[in-house]
Amino acid sequence: METCSRSVRFLAPRARLVTARFGEARRSRAGVTLRAYMQSGRTLVSLAVGVGLWGPAASAQPPPSADPTAPPPAPVITATGRVIDALGRPVAGATVTGDGPGEPVTTDRDGRFRVTAPAGTALVVSSARYASALASVTGARIDDVVLLELGTERIEVGGQAPTPAAGAAKLDREELQRLPGTGGDVVRALTAMPGVVNLQIPLGYSGVVIRGSSPQDSKVLIDDFEIPLLFHPLGIRAVVPAESIQSLTFIPGGFDVSYGRSSSGIVQLTTRPGSDTRSEQAEVSLIDGGLSAQGPIGAHTRYMFAVRRSVIDFILPLVIPDSVDLSLTTVPNYWDEQLRIDHELNARWNLSLSSVGTDDVFELLTTKEQDAGSKRFYTLTRFLRLTAAAKYHAGEWQSTLALSGMISQLNAEVGLYQRLNVTGPLITPRATVARAMPAAAGLQDVVWSAGAEAQIGYSHVDLAIPLERREGEPFPAYDPKDTTTTFKGSVWYPDYAAWSSIAASFDPRVRLTLGLRADYFARPSELALQPRGELQVKLAENLSSRFGAGGYRRPPEFQSEFLQKDVKSEHSSQLTWGVEYTPILGVRLQGSLYYTDRTQLITHNTDGSLGNTGRGTSKGAELLGMLHGGPWFGWLGYSYSRSERVDTPGGASRLFDYDQTHSLNAALSWKRGRWQLGGRFQLYSGLPFTPATGSEFDSDRNLHLPLYGPVNSDRAPIHHQLDVRVDYAWTWGPAQMLIYLDVQNVYLDRSVVTYFYSYDYSQRSAFESLPLLPAAGLRAVL
Amino acid sequence: MRTCAAFAVALAACTQDVDAAWELDHDRVIAVRSTPSRIASGETAVLDALVGRKAQPPSDRDPDTASVVSPSGLDAALARPAGHWTVTAPPDDQLAPARVELGLAADAPVPLRVRMVFADTGEVAYKVVWLGEHADNPVVDPISLDGMDGLAITQLSVAPGTRIPFAVQLDDSYNINWLTSCGTMHDFDLPRSYLRVEPEDSHAGTLALVVRDALGGVVWYLWSITAP
Repeated sequence: METCSRSVRFLAPRARLVTARFGEARRSRAGVTLRAYMQSGRTLVSLAVGVGLWGPAASAQPPPSADPTAPPPAPVITATGRVIDALGRPVAGATVTGDGPGEPVTTDRDGRFRVTAPAGTALVVSSARYASALASVTGARIDDVVLLELGTERIEVGGQAPTPAAGAAKLDREELQRLPGTGGDVVRALTAMPGVVNLQIPLGYSGVVIRGSSPQDSKVLIDDFEIPLLFHPLGIRAVVPAESIQSLTFIPGGFDVSYGRSSSGIVQLTTRPGSDTRSEQAEVSLIDGGLSAQGPIGAHTRYMFAVRRSVIDFILPLVIPDSVDLSLTTVPNYWDEQLRIDHELNARWNLSLSSVGTDDVFELLTTKEQDAGSKRFYTLTRFLRLTAAAKYHAGEWQSTLALSGMISQLNAEVGLYQRLNVTGPLITPRATVARAMPAAAGLQDVVWSAGAEAQIGYSHVDLAIPLERREGEPFPAYDPKDTTTTFKGSVWYPDYAAWSSIAASFDPRVRLTLGLRADYFARPSELALQPRGELQVKLAENLSSRFGAGGYRRPPEFQSEFLQKDVKSEHSSQLTWGVEYTPILGVRLQGSLYYTDRTQLITHNTDGSLGNTGRGTSKGAELLGMLHGGPWFGWLGYSYSRSERVDTPGGASRLFDYDQTHSLNAALSWKRGRWQLGGRFQLYSGLPFTPATGSEFDSDRNLHLPLYGPVNSDRAPIHHQLDVRVDYAWTWGPAQMLIYLDVQNVYLDRSVVTYFYSYDYSQRSAFESLPLLPAAGLRAVL
Repeated sequence: MRTCAAFAVALAACTQDVDAAWELDHDRVIAVRSTPSRIASGETAVLDALVGRKAQPPSDRDPDTASVVSPSGLDAALARPAGHWTVTAPPDDQLAPARVELGLAADAPVPLRVRMVFADTGEVAYKVVWLGEHADNPVVDPISLDGMDGLAITQLSVAPGTRIPFAVQLDDSYNINWLTSCGTMHDFDLPRSYLRVEPEDSHAGTLALVVRDALGGVVWYLWSITAP
């Protein structure tokens, strides 16, 4: 296989973030490969686009010569080809011009064309709506030529781009909104990802558990920076609506050195940039309502702003029966906001300013008595993150400088004695640089990247809570007067990180990436070196394999971990192997195997303090199939997982709390004209739990102290459900209208989340998700 | 349990009711009492328990077996003369090692933790008897039952389907439980509670008030109740 490593830039004047590289020639049935190298800084995207070149690039061919020593003239051949857009749709009426004397030809309604020219002839393909592209005559069949729309700010690589790691997946906004059973919500959409523990309620503070570990082991990033939580406490909605998201990238493991502070997986949300045309949108559902606006400001600036408020606080009081002993003194309500401004300073520099914020509060009394403080439950959660970034791109160099700040506040009060109040700012500066070279030191497509960041946090903490429950520990009896853990003071927790990696192709079929990340967690005074690497091998035209290995760390920052300076980070060593297969354009199949060894897991010592004595393993397999074709969008995901751990040396092995053996998601959506119909089938194992075998009564505390069997020795039953979604769009005056109905679990299968016990643990009852959860909404776009 | 209903709107639903904590028609040890609750050296306290049994009215019971859990060396303080379990506080010089073992101040009362077993159900209960100082169990007065003086009556007749208020005047330092085997109790652990006898409820049973103070004292009151 021959390749040409000469970089050119597409002629799209606004395709600023795209560098097209005729770098990896490949003979594929589809003939199109988009490679996204997320090598550094997460904002640095170098897209290498092979557009069906086979052999040296046409523009690099020497002209015919009469020199007798020159090779004989190339044979004239008749070749056929096809012109498509970035989504794989045929482009009709495109002009295909050779660099010889022949007449231009025009593509037919299927985007197909036929030319007769000497082998090696360069072809220029142009169309009014698209940037021109190059191709060459290499045989009877020319690989597909991809045209990018003029004015395209970003290429929607969707399911066609290589994923950041084996087993990773990506959904763009439209796909998020098409996936039935999610209500267009990010948290619920995540449950469709193979490797994500599926349950009808969000899990843990992040709302997502990846590969059977613990929620705190994974990070949720918005525009490259962490957010403290992804969902509202009542678990109804993610803090960022799908309308404000450009894409969701899910990396279950094996991520590169530019990501850190996570021992399991990464969920990366990218906010939506404003469009080139002004539009306003309003949407209301049974849960919340929102407004958004986007458009240009002058020739070089675009904005997107969105705000959303819950409406459930208006509905909830109406549906709670009067007979229930409940006083909603502050009905659950929330606000969300997103802002993004992008400015093109010049051809090399782009500036952006973005913010994400949420404010969520509710207070209730489990009595009608308004002065019964012992029955009070109150939470307030709010954060605001503001990020300014400057991106530089010139030739082989790209760089990003970003400064992000966040203020957050968490207040929770239960009864008269228990409280948790944490407030404080967090500052995160980050710099990344990358150089992409066609060739260096005898290697091809060499990409070097490096970066550094600091995460400097300060929190004022006031807490009086029971001894916190750690992973696997059964729930203790609830004692409203238990304030075993108390702390009042301020905590600094500066963390620093630096990383570098280099990726290169030794051969057109073999690409190796090696990197090293160093984290310094200042509070426990711990330096963590994490080498990572990945080997990509192209096994066939549309079949590639990836093997990754690396070390990962999660700093001690969960719950009260940061109060103990001698608690170190948790370690994981990950091995991943995966294959990716694209049999035809629009269809992608991928499978992966993983093994994760976890050490230094933070557990309780016998005296109630924390230590790093736990260890465990996670292993499993994941399959994912995606279909994008015409009116169809399909999704098939399956994962098998087994996660076990030992909490103390010599202790018994047990399952992780979130070990989910099987999880299957199959979704299909069809869109034609004004209608969009979709269905999604889910089937997944129940989660393990520790059965209570009885209790002993402490008369003075008036508490029944539970007696438990072996940890996580029982499991909730398997659950399956069918979700359906119907969308209907129409035009009403100047507005584009959309109404949708998204219904989960249409055949009412019981979904046991877990079990709860009577006050004396003599009786057990299933805690089930709602049997039927409909979501309906109306959207108007001006 | 019923508060789950609110969260069910957003999250999940609770099904298959289990017995509520105020339900007396249930096998349970309701409270263990030491009379008096704290004893000075040489004093003796008697242990007994209020026990509920399904389909039976609650009753006073003596534990079938009892043993000292902690501190060590004070096993002899527990005895069963004349069928009742008793604790006799040893002289102060015998309490001194226990204070050292438990890390208590030299003059602090010593908690004697007693484990009791009720053989018919196998239930296990724990009670602490404080040694080294004297304190009596609390007395609750007044007790208002549907506007009546609860200390002056032993039976209560209420109208079905109506709100029957109960009240005591105690602050948050007390642990209060209103329990019943007749009707549905609301706010069972608040000083002001109320009962409503729904059609599906039992219309005859027992009403109990159990109050614990911060010193380990406990007292209970029982009334028979009907909703004809």
